Amino acid sequence: MAENLLEVKNLKKYFPVKAGIFKRTVAHVKAVDDISFVVEEGETLGLVGESGCGKSTTGRTILRLLEATAGEVIFEGKNVMDLDKKEMRAIRRDMQIIFQDPYASLNPRMTVADIVGEPLDIHNLAKNKKERNEKVREILENVGLGAEYMNRYPHEFSGGQRQRIGVARALAVDPKLIIADEPVSALDVSVQAQVVNLLQDLQKEYGLTYLFIAHDLSVVKHISDRVAVMYLGKLVELTDKKELFDNPMHPYTQSLLSAIPEADPKKKKDRIILEGDVPSPVDPPSGCRFHPRCPKAFEPCPVKEPEFKEYGDGHYAACHLLDQ
Amino acid sequence: MSKEALVEVKNLKTYFYTEEGVVKAVDGVDYEIYPGETLGIVGESGCGKSVTSLSIMRLVESPPGRIEAGEINFKGTDLTKLSEKEMRKIRGNDISMIFQEPMTSLNPVYTVGDQIIEAIMLHKQVKRKEARRQAIEMLQKVGIPLPEQRVDEYPHQLSGGMRQRVMIAMALSCDPQLLIADEPTTALDVTIQAQILELMNSLKESYGMAIMMITHDLGVIAEVSDRVAVMYAGKVVEYTDVDTLFDDPKHPYTWGLMNSIPKLDKDVDRLEAIPGSVPSPLNFPEGCKFNTRCPLAEGKCFDVEPPLEDTDGGHMVRCWRYEHLEEIKKRGERIYEDRGVQK
Repeated sequence: MAENLLEVKNLKKYFPVKAGIFKRTVAHVKAVDDISFVVEEGETLGLVGESGCGKSTTGRTILRLLEATAGEVIFEGKNVMDLDKKEMRAIRRDMQIIFQDPYASLNPRMTVADIVGEPLDIHNLAKNKKERNEKVREILENVGLGAEYMNRYPHEFSGGQRQRIGVARALAVDPKLIIADEPVSALDVSVQAQVVNLLQDLQKEYGLTYLFIAHDLSVVKHISDRVAVMYLGKLVELTDKKELFDNPMHPYTQSLLSAIPEADPKKKKDRIILEGDVPSPVDPPSGCRFHPRCPKAFEPCPVKEPEFKEYGDGHYAACHLLDQ
Repeated sequence: MSKEALVEVKNLKTYFYTEEGVVKAVDGVDYEIYPGETLGIVGESGCGKSVTSLSIMRLVESPPGRIEAGEINFKGTDLTKLSEKEMRKIRGNDISMIFQEPMTSLNPVYTVGDQIIEAIMLHKQVKRKEARRQAIEMLQKVGIPLPEQRVDEYPHQLSGGMRQRVMIAMALSCDPQLLIADEPTTALDVTIQAQILELMNSLKESYGMAIMMITHDLGVIAEVSDRVAVMYAGKVVEYTDVDTLFDDPKHPYTWGLMNSIPKLDKDVDRLEAIPGSVPSPLNFPEGCKFNTRCPLAEGKCFDVEPPLEDTDGGHMVRCWRYEHLEEIKKRGERIYEDRGVQK
């Protein structure tokens, strides 16, 4: 079995809600509330959920772009949460992130060569200007952009090309783990496929490990080896993708799968339409957080929180029904 | 089809005159919508799908936009010839529209009830009290719990899915014959999207109205449409009924779109990605507008724009080489191969 590259243990991230003239903390948004999972070396772990479920916060907290409220993030045996600023900078060489919005995540005043070259400078990976340019050229070619684009600015590129620049920047320092936070959701359908293919090619080429965060289950299914499903700050199910799509255990996963409109007019799905909306993470429901919308909720659900545990061969879920 | 069309769009051209040049957002589009059916319009950003619908509603901002040519016949009246005053009687009454972002299309300083009541009183000869009763009834029909209470709430008090329901309630309050829905579920989560699509399908049946569903999502198209127009760079490139389109896409662009999305029930190692990106509308290529990205393009494709032709029994395609694509499909080959990682 492959080594665990990343272990997330009981990770919590609460955001304070401040109110009144003294800006006192009156409540907390429990964006990520006690989640644990591992990412094995060389695999792609998909993290899916609807907006506000905490999936992006999870990604950012792992990289300490946001400071965790509690919990451990162990990367190659080291607890990332204990590192000081200098050590953190060093470890970021191995952990990189690609953002959703290729328009907002590139500095409009920097040329492509500078955007991709900046991480090389920060980590002193190029001896001189010539070597830096050489490296940038090579990285750009690897993501399918020609060297002729080096001196252009982000606004001169289309959305798909900008996302390639974002990928190139992440790749520049030769990382081991890339956290891809909705990397294709801002792109047009035909361009999405280009970026998904690119990410897969690069993974093979460089032996990369991905934490792929997205709301689109079909893309996640295509690219991931294992998939974790989040709901209101909690993991509700985690297993390998075939098992998840063939045999979803959690009622939320089941309804999520049935809700996706499929590009096949002849297929009439047995749809589980969920009632209501995702509740507020400031005041999440008691017991199982999914119980107010769950079609199968019964007595223990509103009172007791189900434990996230293994139900046979790496299939984790948190649901009282499974203990029946 | 023998039925008479509710809307007939003929050779519609809507251009925008900008400082950089003329943007031909919609450049010669034809389609019909029949009573009670759903016409799906699918395409990527910038293909002109929203501008066609805004043209029908006569909501294209002018300047810089202008309906340059063509007819939009709604029950025999050419909407392009109507005055703004006449158009106002149709807008929101016979033809209604819902948009992608319900928050920006609702006025934040009025309660949702006030906004629905305004629409009702504008088009129907009723007193405010009766309009309020109808507004509550509409909110109930679109599945908003506690409508008597919700009617006095402001848009920010509602969730995204609820806001879209309010928009639908407002759009349907005057029994329109045509509802134009421009990406109505794009901003919503999948579980909420499923709720809204189901609602729209059931309302369509009970109201007997026609829907024009504009979206980039082929899944949504498959779910709700009877017939589909695929748009690319301001033109319709394929136009047929929904089953035929998904069974037998004839335009290389449609084929590419379908194969570039991962399927839930089928595993492929690699997606078929259409190379490049949509050309700028300021600078469309000569000939077929898809020629910059089409792997089948050759000779004629670069010189002459193909017409939208009936290939068989109403399956319309705008492509010189669709027969060639048929052969490739029969052989079970892929047509899009990208370069992958270059080493």
